[in-house]
Amino acid sequence: MQRHGPRNEAPRQPPPLSRRQFLRNGLAGAGALSVAQFAARPLVGPRSLTGRLLESAARAAITRGGTLTFGRTTGPTQFDPANSIVGGDVYTLDKIFEPLYITNPAGKLIPWLATGHTVSSDRLTWTFQLRNGVKFSDGKPVTPDDVMFSILRTAHDKTGPLSFLDTAIKDISAKGSSAVVFQLSEPWAPFLSDASCFCNSILPANFGGESPASFFAHPVGTGPFLLQSFVKGAGATLLRNPHYWQGGKPYLDKIVFSYIPSDSSRLLQLKSGEIDVMSTVAPADVASLRSDPSLAVKLFPSWALDLLFFNEKVPQFKDRNVRRAIAHAINVHALTRATTFGTAQPGRSFFPPSLQYHANVPTLQYNVRAAKASLAKSAYHKGFSTELLISTGNQTWAEAAQIIQQDLKAIKIDVSIKSLDNASYTAAFSAFNYQMMINTATNDISDPDEMASFQVDVQRGGSHSFWTDYNDPKAISLVREAEHTFSSAKRATLYREIQAIVAQDAPYVPLYYSPNIYAWSRKVHGFAVNPGGAYRLEDVWLG
Amino acid sequence: MTVDLEESRAPFGLFNTHALRPGRLPALARTSPWRYVVQRVLAAIPVLFGVAVLTFSLLHLVPGDPARTLLGIHAPQSAVSALRRQLGLDEPLWRQFWHYLDDLVHGNLGTSIYYDAPTSSLILSRLPVTASLVGVATLFSLVITLPLAVLAAARQNKPADHAVRFLSLLGLGMPSFWFGIILLLLFAVSLHVFPVGGWGTTVLEHLRSLVLPGLTAAIGICPVLIRSLRVGMLDLIDADFVAACRAKGLRNSYVLVGHVARNAMIPTLSLLGVNIAFLIGETVVIEQVFNLNGLGLLMLSSIDNRDFPVVQGIAVIYALGVVAINIITDLLTAWLDPRVRLG
Repeated sequence: MQRHGPRNEAPRQPPPLSRRQFLRNGLAGAGALSVAQFAARPLVGPRSLTGRLLESAARAAITRGGTLTFGRTTGPTQFDPANSIVGGDVYTLDKIFEPLYITNPAGKLIPWLATGHTVSSDRLTWTFQLRNGVKFSDGKPVTPDDVMFSILRTAHDKTGPLSFLDTAIKDISAKGSSAVVFQLSEPWAPFLSDASCFCNSILPANFGGESPASFFAHPVGTGPFLLQSFVKGAGATLLRNPHYWQGGKPYLDKIVFSYIPSDSSRLLQLKSGEIDVMSTVAPADVASLRSDPSLAVKLFPSWALDLLFFNEKVPQFKDRNVRRAIAHAINVHALTRATTFGTAQPGRSFFPPSLQYHANVPTLQYNVRAAKASLAKSAYHKGFSTELLISTGNQTWAEAAQIIQQDLKAIKIDVSIKSLDNASYTAAFSAFNYQMMINTATNDISDPDEMASFQVDVQRGGSHSFWTDYNDPKAISLVREAEHTFSSAKRATLYREIQAIVAQDAPYVPLYYSPNIYAWSRKVHGFAVNPGGAYRLEDVWLG
Repeated sequence: MTVDLEESRAPFGLFNTHALRPGRLPALARTSPWRYVVQRVLAAIPVLFGVAVLTFSLLHLVPGDPARTLLGIHAPQSAVSALRRQLGLDEPLWRQFWHYLDDLVHGNLGTSIYYDAPTSSLILSRLPVTASLVGVATLFSLVITLPLAVLAAARQNKPADHAVRFLSLLGLGMPSFWFGIILLLLFAVSLHVFPVGGWGTTVLEHLRSLVLPGLTAAIGICPVLIRSLRVGMLDLIDADFVAACRAKGLRNSYVLVGHVARNAMIPTLSLLGVNIAFLIGETVVIEQVFNLNGLGLLMLSSIDNRDFPVVQGIAVIYALGVVAINIITDLLTAWLDPRVRLG
């Protein structure tokens, strides 16, 4: 998903916090972040004594007030949760509007505007208990009517980019004054994850009586911040919401989002202190940022990865042996090392390690002899010429493409590289007008079903298996079964099998898992990004 | 004090530049400036029409769907098709072009697909930045060109002359985005004299943030202007009227600046007019480097997003700007040099 804007600002993937990184980032840094995660936990629910002690210790150190200046690559154009997909819009409106559940930086779903939920035995009726005392920024309390209005609005939006996540909802109704009941059309396992999407954030019913245009010019939400002003596609200024339901938060008075599309400009502004946080650090700049004692840089695990895709409408790639040969011929470890400056992990399964139900299934390893053997089994053992499509403006892809071109020479496959601007590139692959391509796969929610069905279910996934036309009936039936399976253990088994089949069929070759890389001045505390790329700012303080 | 040039022998080169300027026809009678402006404005209409047609055709011939860009790749095809219908993108091309021309004639530049705002308001909000940048760059180029060219002409073939010519050659070869980043590293990051980027909020901050970008843009066009002015001055330095001035006892520096440079400036001014058109193109790169939210950045991102109304709108504005600058330059030249005939 082009979540981060048309410039293919693909989020980068990090390794889990290794011991060396923990020590390098400093005990204080890592400590503050894990404390922030404790602080992010809602006020109800079982908490250990240690957790509460750490939280009060953290609270004692927190300084309130101040303005955070955040440099980003896109600016908000509008704040409608049902119609936003670009990073500049999504990561601004999620400070103003909140959903029933959210995904925390560890990738777990936690209750937010709801305190919990129950599911009927037939899995068709889901009842969410609304949290007491949550008010919109205009002082009106959140009611079941608001929830019904907001989510049905997204579900019925014909041009909503993520409305497909709400397809399973048949009806929503109020139960008393503090509970909402969802009637699903089928037992849908990913539902809680779908409900946590920003597109299902809660707005006042009927926009509080205003027209949509007037409402979104001065949005009223439950979130920690209010919109003060914004310039379309450029900067935005948010103010602290004094009525926020998490007492005492947010700590910041003001957030200024500035629009800095140029990578070097953003980096220079952070180094000179003109901004406090920057998004999307280029992998090449990580080393220089690490050597600056006044700055912190972190590789946050993400649900995104870059892969090499094969168009199976092209006869060569319809042949499984050819795809397997290419998978064996590419030295993914060397490619990752060379192109990502040590920030990404080499690709294995098509599920990133931070995604639920990721399994370490056996994958096709770099082995030129096995590659030649596999190619010999196909009708193309003499080799052939092909074209690799990438989009311009992505330096990592340009280098990766050259490495792939080099690697495939060994098995007599002659690759020419075709580079198109982003819009032309998208038009090309979505019309199957390509042979091989490098592209980014992402997941918008914590449930792996989105990625699994998008990339495997050629009929119902919505993209013809990510425009590869990959069709394995066994894998498809497993994906559909996992959507209706509620046992965690059973789902893990199903997804393990799906990943194993995909690894052997090689409809695409995972190249590397790129982290979301952010850098900030050391006076910023409590900043963390979840694997979807979202960052909550009510826990951030300046000191 | 003005010199009556009619009495001097004007060198060949000075008139030649006028005769060779495109669009100029010899005329028997002197046209009034107002009539001239009206003539030029009317002549500009087909130019603007041509720009509109060309931009529309090129944009729509290139692949790329703004609806898909807006919705991302996870959105189902049904959503993309519904959005295309909503935006009128599924109508036949000739009908879309007709709507566009119809709107344009009524002064309506359409609504941005990406920003969902009137194109004219988007352009108006970014225009001050680009216009100021072009203005400051022009000012800097004049401030840099005049002294250097006068110095080079006065000390012809001496070390100073060689130094100026070498520097201007260097300036010609340097890519502006590289030079801009060097200036940033030196003056903004290390010395903190100027901001790293952005536009600021007060007029003073605006001016401060225009210094480095203006300088970068000026360095791009100064070499050509320096060479032109230097050559123009060298042509005039041997003229009779200069010798007469010197014989009258006027100081050499005054003669050089007050008489020689002033006359040699005229063809250089028309060259400056042409270069300002190039400068408008350069602002696209410079706005990126210095993070100035002007028309250049908007143009780039709109092309990427296939935001047809905005790209078309900015192209027409740029064309208008170039035409206006050309008219102003011609008028200025005519005002400065009485021998020049308009029309």
